[in-house]
Amino acid sequence: MISLEAMSKIWQGYSNFYWTGLVNTLWIAALAVVLGSVLGLVIASGRMLTVKKDDNILLVILKYIIKGICSIYVEVLRATPLIVQVFVIYYGATSLGLKLGNATATRIMWGFVAVALNSGAYLSEVVRSGIGAVSGGQMEAARCVGMNHWQAMRYVILPQAIRNILPALCNEFVTIIKETSVLSMVGIADLMFQAQAVASTTYIFVEPYIIAAIMYFVIVFTLSKLISVFERRMSRSVTR
Amino acid sequence: MLQDKDVLIQVKDLKKQFKHIEVLKGINIDIHKGEVVAVIGPSGSGKSTFLRCLNLLEQPTSGQIIFEGSDLTDKKTNINHLRQKMGMVFQSFNLFANMTVLQNLTVAPVKVKGMSKTEAEELATQLLGRVGLADRKDAYPIQMSGGQQQRVAIARALAMQPDVMLFDEPTSALDPEMVSEVLDVMKQLASENMTMVVVTHEMGFAREVADRVVFIDQGVIQEEGNPEEFFGNPKNQRLKEFLSKVL
Repeated sequence: MISLEAMSKIWQGYSNFYWTGLVNTLWIAALAVVLGSVLGLVIASGRMLTVKKDDNILLVILKYIIKGICSIYVEVLRATPLIVQVFVIYYGATSLGLKLGNATATRIMWGFVAVALNSGAYLSEVVRSGIGAVSGGQMEAARCVGMNHWQAMRYVILPQAIRNILPALCNEFVTIIKETSVLSMVGIADLMFQAQAVASTTYIFVEPYIIAAIMYFVIVFTLSKLISVFERRMSRSVTR
Repeated sequence: MLQDKDVLIQVKDLKKQFKHIEVLKGINIDIHKGEVVAVIGPSGSGKSTFLRCLNLLEQPTSGQIIFEGSDLTDKKTNINHLRQKMGMVFQSFNLFANMTVLQNLTVAPVKVKGMSKTEAEELATQLLGRVGLADRKDAYPIQMSGGQQQRVAIARALAMQPDVMLFDEPTSALDPEMVSEVLDVMKQLASENMTMVVVTHEMGFAREVADRVVFIDQGVIQEEGNPEEFFGNPKNQRLKEFLSKVL
């Protein structure tokens, strides 16, 4: 039986548990998306390298190696479950002795790294399609007024690509908020972990999780709605 | 090499191959300062490829393009620098979608040429006046008609104060009623002695404005001449067939 009474009692006694968990969830997710975006941009650039006719043979080989590594990275991380990645990275790193000062910091760091790596793989595809969606004529026009490749990227291509990417980036943040719940499995005190802690302290096993579910829902639902409003306003303004 | 002083662009034995298809099979042409050259030909003849080779949007397979004394096909040539002197107008306008009209005109003069912002904006305003769009400087490209966008695109190219303007079928993507507003701007430009190379299907424009008309088919120049001679008394068999279809 689910009882509202139990829920309100748990909330009164343990609300600070949940708030701590929520704060951890949010900052880990936010930081993971930021790092994931940078990583995504790097990986996408790597995958978009083009071999030119007058490149020398070493450069050609180097480009193929970079492209290969980036592709393998994306495919592997997209084709394995996040929880497996978290375990491999966390236990792998700690067994190699890669630890921070204390156990909590070590956990958070490797859990965070795993989520960021995972998110980087997805975001690289988002970045790639965002840049790909800018019409080829824009680059040609930019080059024709004398811009070099990087000026064209900076002033013409990337501003338009960011417009394409931003909504997907926000959605990735929302997804990550939910997915960070697997970090509780390696002992990171996120919202899910805190709910488990409350459950094992109180011996009540449904209501603590319902409270966590409500908190996840309120955050994720609100953010999603905000994003879609934001997206609509962006599309209403200047372009497309 | 010796070069006629009036020759702005010299094209020597230009060839371009895509995979296994040879699109240009050896083009030779001199383009003189102040000259308006219209390039016509059936679709797939290589006329657009020829134009795109002139500023290296397409890398030629072999041959030479000498512009103001520099060989563009030489790897040591700074192509970004030379492109500043070659304006390009595309069939599909290609205005920078993330910028206002004014920004479209000022970004390259400021960021590439190092012109001051005030100076660039003055020049841009003046150019927009010339193409009849002074009142649209704060509009975004998406808010304008095709004809307006193409006029802005011409002004954008002119803002770099180029020595030659290349036009790649500038009116082919326009609704019929907008063609003349763009052609009028081009005519005005020609009357101001701008060197122009215009790939076009507008035979009226070629006849009226061009100093020389060039017919490209099957990857070579089949015939060239002044407009009266070219349209009045064509000699090449393929040109006769082509003209009988389009005129």
